Amino acid sequence: MKNYIYKFICVVMVSAFAKAQSPQDIFQAAGTPSNPKVSVAFNQYYTAEGLAEIGKKIADAHPKLVKRMSIGKSTEGRDIWLLAITDSSTGNPDRKPGFYLDGNIHSNEIQGGEISTYTAWYLTESFGKVPYITEMLKDRIFYIVATINPDARNNYMKEPNTGSSPRAGMIALDDDSDGLFDEDGYDDLDGDGSITQMRRKSATGDYIINPQDPRRMIRIGPDDVVTGQRYEMLGREGIDNDGDGVINEDTPGYYDPNRDWGWKWQPDYVQRGAYKYPFSAPETRAVADFVKAHPNIAGAQSFHNSGGMILRGPGAEEDKDTYNRADVAIYDAIGKKGEELLPGYNYLTVYKDLYSVFGGELDWFYGGRGIYTFTNEIFTGFAYYKNKDGDRDQIYDAGKDLLLGDGFTPFKAYNHPTYGEIEIGGFKKNVGRATPGFMLEEEAHRNMVFVFYHAFHMPHLSVGDVSVKSLPNGYKEVTATIVNNRLMPTHASQDLKYNIERPDYIKLSGAKVLAGMIVEDADFNVTKEQKNNPESIQVKNIPGNDKVMVRWIVKGGNTMTITVDSAKGGLVEHKVK
Amino acid sequence: MKIHYLLGFCFLFSFGLQAQSDYQNEQQVTATLKKIASNKNAQLKSLTKTAGGKDIWMLTLSAGAPDAHPGIAIMGGVQGDHLLGTELSIKMAENILQNHPEALKKTSFYIFPNLSPDATAQYFSSMKYARQGNASPTDDDRDGKVDEDPYEDLNGDGIITMMRVEDPTGDYQMLEEDNRIMVKADPNKGDRGTYKLLSEGRDNDKDGVFNEDGAGGVYFNKNFTFGFPYFEKGAGEHPVSEVEHRALLDYLYTQWNIYAILTFAPENNLSKPLKYDKGKASKRVITSILENDAKLNEMLSEMYNEIIPKDDAPENHGEGGSAFEWSYFHFGRLAMSTPGWWPEKAKGDSINKAPKDKHANFLRYAEEQGMENVFIPWQEVQHPDFPNNKVEVGGINPFAMTHPPYPLVDSIAIKHTDFILKVAQMQPELQLVNLKQEKVDNNLTRITVDLHNNGLLPTHTEMGDKSRWLRKINVYMKVNGNQQLISGKGRQVIEKLDGDGTMQLSWLVQGSGKVTIEATAPQAGTATQTINL
Repeated sequence: MKNYIYKFICVVMVSAFAKAQSPQDIFQAAGTPSNPKVSVAFNQYYTAEGLAEIGKKIADAHPKLVKRMSIGKSTEGRDIWLLAITDSSTGNPDRKPGFYLDGNIHSNEIQGGEISTYTAWYLTESFGKVPYITEMLKDRIFYIVATINPDARNNYMKEPNTGSSPRAGMIALDDDSDGLFDEDGYDDLDGDGSITQMRRKSATGDYIINPQDPRRMIRIGPDDVVTGQRYEMLGREGIDNDGDGVINEDTPGYYDPNRDWGWKWQPDYVQRGAYKYPFSAPETRAVADFVKAHPNIAGAQSFHNSGGMILRGPGAEEDKDTYNRADVAIYDAIGKKGEELLPGYNYLTVYKDLYSVFGGELDWFYGGRGIYTFTNEIFTGFAYYKNKDGDRDQIYDAGKDLLLGDGFTPFKAYNHPTYGEIEIGGFKKNVGRATPGFMLEEEAHRNMVFVFYHAFHMPHLSVGDVSVKSLPNGYKEVTATIVNNRLMPTHASQDLKYNIERPDYIKLSGAKVLAGMIVEDADFNVTKEQKNNPESIQVKNIPGNDKVMVRWIVKGGNTMTITVDSAKGGLVEHKVK
Repeated sequence: MKIHYLLGFCFLFSFGLQAQSDYQNEQQVTATLKKIASNKNAQLKSLTKTAGGKDIWMLTLSAGAPDAHPGIAIMGGVQGDHLLGTELSIKMAENILQNHPEALKKTSFYIFPNLSPDATAQYFSSMKYARQGNASPTDDDRDGKVDEDPYEDLNGDGIITMMRVEDPTGDYQMLEEDNRIMVKADPNKGDRGTYKLLSEGRDNDKDGVFNEDGAGGVYFNKNFTFGFPYFEKGAGEHPVSEVEHRALLDYLYTQWNIYAILTFAPENNLSKPLKYDKGKASKRVITSILENDAKLNEMLSEMYNEIIPKDDAPENHGEGGSAFEWSYFHFGRLAMSTPGWWPEKAKGDSINKAPKDKHANFLRYAEEQGMENVFIPWQEVQHPDFPNNKVEVGGINPFAMTHPPYPLVDSIAIKHTDFILKVAQMQPELQLVNLKQEKVDNNLTRITVDLHNNGLLPTHTEMGDKSRWLRKINVYMKVNGNQQLISGKGRQVIEKLDGDGTMQLSWLVQGSGKVTIEATAPQAGTATQTINL
């Protein structure tokens, strides 16, 4: 009986759902997949489980494009889900130039989850419809991890927090050196689900309520004549849970997953947030293990919030010399394009424009693996009024005009165990850093096309001109030009400096190879012979928008094949005609 | 089954009777450790297994709960070709348990006898060489191929030494005073090289370099976080990339009571202390020992030199990625490191002058001492890579200059035990002294006490004071429901106390009955005082 009712409800729900999807009722908006196989609302945020479910739906709906796998477990045992997206009908997926993107390394910086998911959704729904995407998935693979921090993403959403907490993952640490771990976090005293401000009436306080806007507090200047009620600000909502005379001094964490990466890592005393050693948090270790096992990854992107920034390394001033001119030119080309695609965003360098810290994700990707990597700080106040001159305070106008008052808890009286009669209120955690729903889809789309521009310019190799010249005594001279028609080389100059990745191999099969050489100057016949193993010529690099030329002296060879085998540039086969 | 037991018993029995004559292999080390662990004050635990499937053992020595006392960690086998470190740490454990059990009432010892078991096994294999890498396959020459150019034992003597190849393009020549030794020819001094000097083996991958990518591996002593030598052979792809490093560090980072670490490795800050460099110490990333810690190092060094003379000790303060550098710069503990032994220099006399060349001098010393198997005489071999050259294999035994003849090991271990017990006697020790209570009024008492560090070592090194991984001193004034703290904190955090340092604390308490003061830091112990108001 019960079962019957359940089935009935399901049928009703499915039919209602299907009706809303009816294609004849939909008119496609340009640039957005119409009538998609998987419907996702991109004007709201999803928990770790929510993202995992969307990822699974995408994978189930597009089995030829998506491979879904768990790359590891989080501190609390959640899977860290990765979607590998490519056209699996052409080529070996893991030998195509790979682009890695992730979101949410900082727990409260949630948009990356939705932007990554939007990217996966867009790629799969547009394949076969948008030629740019179809082509991209033919010779590239995307590795997308919507959240590399599922535990603390949930903590941010489900537990009372500020817009900036937690930043760490969920490994408990003893921040106040008392031998207890995470014992004095915030407390949602007014029960609104967010940690807001505490204030108290005080004859000597240095704030008053703005008479024109009761949401705002104004600081009193030294010459101000104050006639209204003075207040003192008491910090974030909380009580002294452990009775040590300090409030909120040991919140979950604190360590910073973005100080946990293995390039020039430095401990906590250098910059707060480093944990024990590089990749000491299970989440970052899972990503590092995946990246080490995928040498085809040539480009990468991580999403943070906020401030509207397209960031490149170095993260630390001391690491300036790692980024040399050739690689910076490539970063600049992509970063400046990003400024066009993302109005209100600025292309910046972490150590100069943000802060100087070691152990960041982008630093390891580039310094340790030679992968060109950006970090975007999603959302900026610019978005509210599309106005570059807007300051931080425009949030009060936007809260009223655009959010219609949603996201603000008016101050209310509360009897605090330590402070006595106080008032609690302020902006909720989903205002300020997280993009408001009505702007989220646009922000996701713009960041995605920035990713695509970056991914497009990963190395793209082909065998160009091949000439076969007969020599005396039945020898043949085979000369081939290998072309890379995109911005990135197969080896970043950081890579070349340390031989991070193996050389590229250009192989000739189908003939007896007697000698092989790199042609350094075709016009003057300057060549460099490779004496050992001449059928597989090793080249250190195939530069961006450039070519290399190789030559073999062979015997026989009626059906020869040239194979270009590059870790980051992919595998290309060419039959010699 | 029974026979099996019996055989095992016989083995143990004979093992117990026979004096050890050479360094112990993996099975022997394990058997010895298990035997040691039968002592009531010892516990044996495997932290993990390496890529080669070998245990990383940890031996804990303590009377009672190990965490209750400040602790010292001792690490051996830190460098894979340093078997002496393993032997010393095991023998120190035996010495402490048998001859100094009273020390365990104040100090716990955490002994990691062999942190490079994959590499030390090479010493006992049919092809003995000075291996440092673990069993993780690595592409040492970063050419895309893994472990493709190992050594070969061309003269079939079971030891990998050197090859000299007669070749007019070579840069080496024989040393005049001892033609067993090959030295670089200096054209500026009119010398002409006539030999190539290479390690023993073939150029398997034909890249022009010999034996540059053999079996394994990441070097245990090159994979730590301080000054990590990126992309160098043996370093690993990033710091702490190996399972044994993670297991060790995960353990130590939560072992809050450890205040000192003694590392047996080539790094040596005991014969000669680290020097304070103000410029390097003032940078954001600190690369010089800090000023106060340099003074501590000097004091420890003086103590060490009294027991083990510093003459002829090779200088080595670390070259990046080493365990010792990590133990100070990143772990912030009182860091001590020594190779344990080194050959003295042959002094010679007026007729027989001692050779200046380091290797020739060592051969003279070894001869004087009657050391055996020190030099493998050059022996001609046929070499496929040099079909037209005379090739000879030979040279100094790769372990000879870092390992004393085995019978000396016992006395070296005793000396190091004496040293570490002296350090333990200086360890930080919190005390609450000069307790005073004054009646301010009938129901109001002022309590004053001196928090004193009875140890000569500080509760925190200057470096450790900066680290979140060394806990501060917590002082609690515990009052009950009938009492009220009028002034002074129920709990306060004190950054540190110097050796023999003191800090006065006071409280105003209203009420009567008992109150308790407790001062505690895991690495400095706990002091308690109870007062009747």
